[in-house]
Amino acid sequence: MRTLIKKILLITIIALNSFTVFAKDNLVTDLSESTVEISSTFSGADILLFGAYDGQKNDDIIVVVTGQKGNIKVDKKEKKFGIWMITESVKFSNVPKYYYIASNRKIEEITNKSEIKKRKLDFNNFELKNNKIDYKNLDKKWYEALKRNMKKKQFWKIEENSIKLNKNTLFRKTLSLPSNVSTGMYDVKILHYRKGNLISQEKSKIKIDKTGISANIYNVAQNFSAIYGIIAVIVALFFGWFTNFIFRRI
Amino acid sequence: MYIYLPIAEQPINAFIVLGIGWLVGIIMGMVGIGGGFLLTPLMIFFGIPSPVAVASVANQLVAPSVSGVLSHWKSGNVDFKMGTILLVGGVIGSSIGVLIFNILNAIGQLDLVIKLSYVIFLAIIGSLMFIESFKLIVQTKRGKPNRGKLHQHNWLHGLPFKTRFRKSKLYISIILPLIIGVIVGILAALMGIGGGFIIVPAMIYLLGMPTSLVIGTSLFQIIFVAANTTILQASQNQTVDIVLALILLIGSVIGVQIGSKFSNLMKGEHLRLFLSFIILLVGLKLILDLVTIPLDIFSVSVIQ
Repeated sequence: MRTLIKKILLITIIALNSFTVFAKDNLVTDLSESTVEISSTFSGADILLFGAYDGQKNDDIIVVVTGQKGNIKVDKKEKKFGIWMITESVKFSNVPKYYYIASNRKIEEITNKSEIKKRKLDFNNFELKNNKIDYKNLDKKWYEALKRNMKKKQFWKIEENSIKLNKNTLFRKTLSLPSNVSTGMYDVKILHYRKGNLISQEKSKIKIDKTGISANIYNVAQNFSAIYGIIAVIVALFFGWFTNFIFRRI
Repeated sequence: MYIYLPIAEQPINAFIVLGIGWLVGIIMGMVGIGGGFLLTPLMIFFGIPSPVAVASVANQLVAPSVSGVLSHWKSGNVDFKMGTILLVGGVIGSSIGVLIFNILNAIGQLDLVIKLSYVIFLAIIGSLMFIESFKLIVQTKRGKPNRGKLHQHNWLHGLPFKTRFRKSKLYISIILPLIIGVIVGILAALMGIGGGFIIVPAMIYLLGMPTSLVIGTSLFQIIFVAANTTILQASQNQTVDIVLALILLIGSVIGVQIGSKFSNLMKGEHLRLFLSFIILLVGLKLILDLVTIPLDIFSVSVIQ
C-alpha cells in the first residue's frame, strides 16, 4: 500500500514538474528508488532510471552514476620461491568506488573527445590525488589493472547502446547494483545531447545505506569494537552452554 | 537462503555454511578434535576474506569448546590448575598473535602468511595422522598391539619453578605448559584454530599428562584463548563477523553432539585415516592456489 501511494505521488510530482521544468531545460527524470537499503537479505538491487525529454530525431541520452570516492589498492603478484605473492602495490586515492555509464549508442558517436574528457564519460579521466605517487610517470599497466579489475568486480561498468529511447520523448534504464556495492551517496547525472552538444542535464542522488540488523552490527563493530568483541564471545559461550544443556536431556 | 554478512560485506548461502559447520562438527565429535583448521580454509575457499575467516572462526570456536568442557567436567576430566597455566600462556600468545596479524596486515602479506601457515600445518598434521593411523590399522591386523612408555623423563623435567598438579599426578615446571600455551595462542590468533592438534600431543608426550584429562583440559584453555582472540580481533581489526560465526557455530555444536554419539560406530584409526585424507586434500587445494598462475596478476581492493 505504501509503495502504491509512493508511486502515485511520484507520478503526480513528475506531472507537475513537467509543466514547470520542461520549458526551462527540456529534461525531467526520476528514479524508482532514491534509497537502497542493504538489509540482512540484500543480494543486489535494481533501480529504474526514467524520464522525459523534449527531444528531436537523433538526440542522445547518457547516464552517469558515480559512487563515493575512496582509496583503491592495486596489488601486483610475482612468482617468488615458486609461490605467487604480492610484490608491488599502488594506492589510488580519490577514485570512485562505483562508476556506471550508459548511453543509447556508442559514446564516441554521440559526442567529441573533449566533451568525453570534460564530462568523464569513460574510465580514462579520473582525477587521481595522492601526494606520494607521481601519476604522470606511473606505468600505464597500473591504470589498466585498476580498470580491468574494477570492471570485473562490476563496480565499474559501461553499457553503450543500452538506453531505450521512445518517440524522442521518453527514456528508461535499469541500473543493477551488485550485492557487494559500497555504501554512500551516489550521484546520478542524465545528459541530453543533440548533434554532439549537451543541451540539458539533470542531477539526482541515490542513498545507499545499511539498514536493520546488519547496519546495527556493522555500526557496533566499528564504533564500539571492544564491546562488540565481548558480545561475540558471550553469544558463543551461551550457545555452547545451551547445546550442552539441550543434548544432555536427549 | 542468502544472508548478508555485515563485516565480510557480502551475501552468503546460509544453508551451505550451516552444512559445512555441521559436517566439520560431526568430524570434531567423532575424532574428538577441534575443527578450526578445516573451517578457516573452507571459508576462504568460499570467498570470505582470510582475515575475516580467521577471526570469525576463532569466535565460533568458543561454543563447541564450552560445550565440550561441560561434558568433560561432569566426568571429572579437566585439570583446572594445568588448564589455568596453559591459558595464561594462551592469552599472552594470542595477544602476540594479533600483534603479528596487525603487522602482516600493514605490510600487505597477511593473506599469504595465513595461507602458507595452513599449507605447512595441514601437510604436517595430515601426513602424521595418516602415518599413525595407517600403522595402527596394519598392526591391529597383524595382532601386535604397540605399547610405548606412558611417561618419559627428559631434560624438560629439569626446568625450575616446579609445581604439583594433583589431578594429573605430575610434579613439573610451569615453564613448559606456559610455553606450550603461548605457541598455541599465537596459532589461534593467526590461523583461527584452537590448536588441539599441537596441545594434545604436547600434553601427552612433553608434559606426560594422563590421556583421559588431555581433551577436557585443552578445551578449557581453548575457550579463553579463542575468547581473547575474538575480543582483540574485534577491537583492533574489526574482522569478527558475528553472523558468520553464529551460522558456523550453530552447525558445528549440533554436529559435535551427533558426532560424539556415533563415535563408537567407527574405529578411531579408520576415522583418523579418513580425516587425514580430508586434511591433505584441503592443504593441496591451498598450495595449488598459491603456485598456479593467477588469472590476473593484478588485483584490486577497496580500502575503507
